[in-house]
Amino acid sequence: MTSSGDEPLRVVPVRHVGRWFAGAGVIVIIAMMIHTFLSKIPTGQRLCHVVASSADHKVFRCVDELQWRFSWDVVGKYVTSANILKGLLMTLALTGLTMVIGVVLGATVAIMRLSPSRILAAPAWLFTWFFRGTPVYVQLLFWFNIAAIFPTIDFGIPFGPSLWHIEAVNLFTPFTAALVGLGLNEGAYMSEIIRGGILAVDEGQVEAANSVGLSRLQTLRLVVLPQAMRVIIPPTGNEVISMLKTSSLASALAVVELLKAAQNVYASTYEVIPLLIVASIWYLIVTTILSIGQFYIERHFSKGSLRNLPMTPWERIVRDARGVIGKMRTPRGLRGVRV
Amino acid sequence: MTTPMIEASGVTKSFGAVQVLKGVDLVVNKGDVACLIGPSGSGKSTFLRCINHLEKHDAGNLLVDGEFVGYERRGNTLRELSDKQICAERSQIGMVFQRFNLFGHLTALENVTLGPIHVRVESPAAARDRAMTLLASVGLTEKASNYPSQLSGGQQQRVAIARALAMEPKLMLFDEPTSALDPELVGEVLEAMKQLANDGMTMVVVTHEMGFAREVANQLFFMDDGIVQESGDPREVLANPRTERLASFLSKVL
Repeated sequence: MTSSGDEPLRVVPVRHVGRWFAGAGVIVIIAMMIHTFLSKIPTGQRLCHVVASSADHKVFRCVDELQWRFSWDVVGKYVTSANILKGLLMTLALTGLTMVIGVVLGATVAIMRLSPSRILAAPAWLFTWFFRGTPVYVQLLFWFNIAAIFPTIDFGIPFGPSLWHIEAVNLFTPFTAALVGLGLNEGAYMSEIIRGGILAVDEGQVEAANSVGLSRLQTLRLVVLPQAMRVIIPPTGNEVISMLKTSSLASALAVVELLKAAQNVYASTYEVIPLLIVASIWYLIVTTILSIGQFYIERHFSKGSLRNLPMTPWERIVRDARGVIGKMRTPRGLRGVRV
Repeated sequence: MTTPMIEASGVTKSFGAVQVLKGVDLVVNKGDVACLIGPSGSGKSTFLRCINHLEKHDAGNLLVDGEFVGYERRGNTLRELSDKQICAERSQIGMVFQRFNLFGHLTALENVTLGPIHVRVESPAAARDRAMTLLASVGLTEKASNYPSQLSGGQQQRVAIARALAMEPKLMLFDEPTSALDPELVGEVLEAMKQLANDGMTMVVVTHEMGFAREVANQLFFMDDGIVQESGDPREVLANPRTERLASFLSKVL
């Protein structure tokens, strides 16, 4: 094909008619949702006020009293209230501590499972099998009621004399029961994530580390784990976000975390939905912050494995802005293809 | 005056039911450049890995610089050394792998300084200075801060050579160092190895590069079926193979 003269040819992209219809449908649905969120409903009360009055009679005009369907005013009232914020702090503490327990335990169990010694590997397998195989809610209730079978807990020489002991009911407060239950469960999941990460590192890396003279522990710490991190970090980020929400199960043990704090409020005010929204707002905010953190941590550990690091959102905004400005500056004809 | 760097006699090694080494005998003297050639599966890489104890051989004597690697002789028993002692011995023996095996999360410079800092316990500044000198000697000064994934195969292999040299080894082992390279990158790696040989380094090279063997090596060992079938001066051995096996092997690779 040849063009007539030097006239630049214009490229006409395919029109995606189906996509337009689908897009229109989505816009309608979004509009309906926004409308619902911002709609008001009658409270059942009528508000009347006098519009005219003379000596013997008054003229009233009455309207239905309206309120936000989602009680945004109630949500606003409680979202930063002291009790809710205290609950949020407890949720953050639970999430943080259980993840620390989970990662330390998971790393230990993963390394045990990769050991050539069966005596180390088999119990590690058993641990994962048990704690992944039973519901975390059941495990929580189990630890909460542990005092029923272990009234006292002794620390001392195995099979020998006890050096120190404590009443189980004092040790297993709702908080520690939640911590142990969630932590052990998390340890089982983290061990599989960490084991997968270690196995993903090429054996040649270990051989090279050995040939340089690094000890087994140095090889693990300096060569294997940093490279396993690239594989371990993304699912661990998911685990943190998941734990943030799983920690709400602790409300069943009367630990006053975010959900329990909201429940305590609506137990007396009966404003159930608004307080569940309050809790949800906080879960969403923390999840968003965690996701942003995850992006930067992943970016840090992908050094060396990617030729170009993924752009940060800010870099992406700058690039898009430059692109738009660039397009505005480009004369129209240049966008076509010269043949 | 020649003193042996590697003395092997009757070295055997099996993987399960397969006997890969069936009694390897060879001597490499200090300052020698020895090439190990042979068909794949002949056991030459396995033997090389036994030299620095990456593989444990089953029987026979294998001494480096007059000492057992990975073992200690007490009377008539060989006791396996602890992890720490084996590491100390290994750090004296440099190794370059077919697939480079650079540490992917570290820059070229960090790859070279890792061993000196953590095994030789040098100060980071001193290790860095030495590493830069080594990178310069393999022509990679400008690539010091690049990650392995940003380097060509030839560049990666030269970093790997610098990494091994940073431990100031008395012996360098090369396991098919050019086999994973594009043909036009082979030359730069062989050039770095040649320079090393000229500096007097004792080297054992498993290779298919007959040109390198003829030009640089002063010892050639032809391995097949788990034993050394033929050995001697490379020019002579390659020109006049005495065994039918070597003749047929050379007719395929030359």
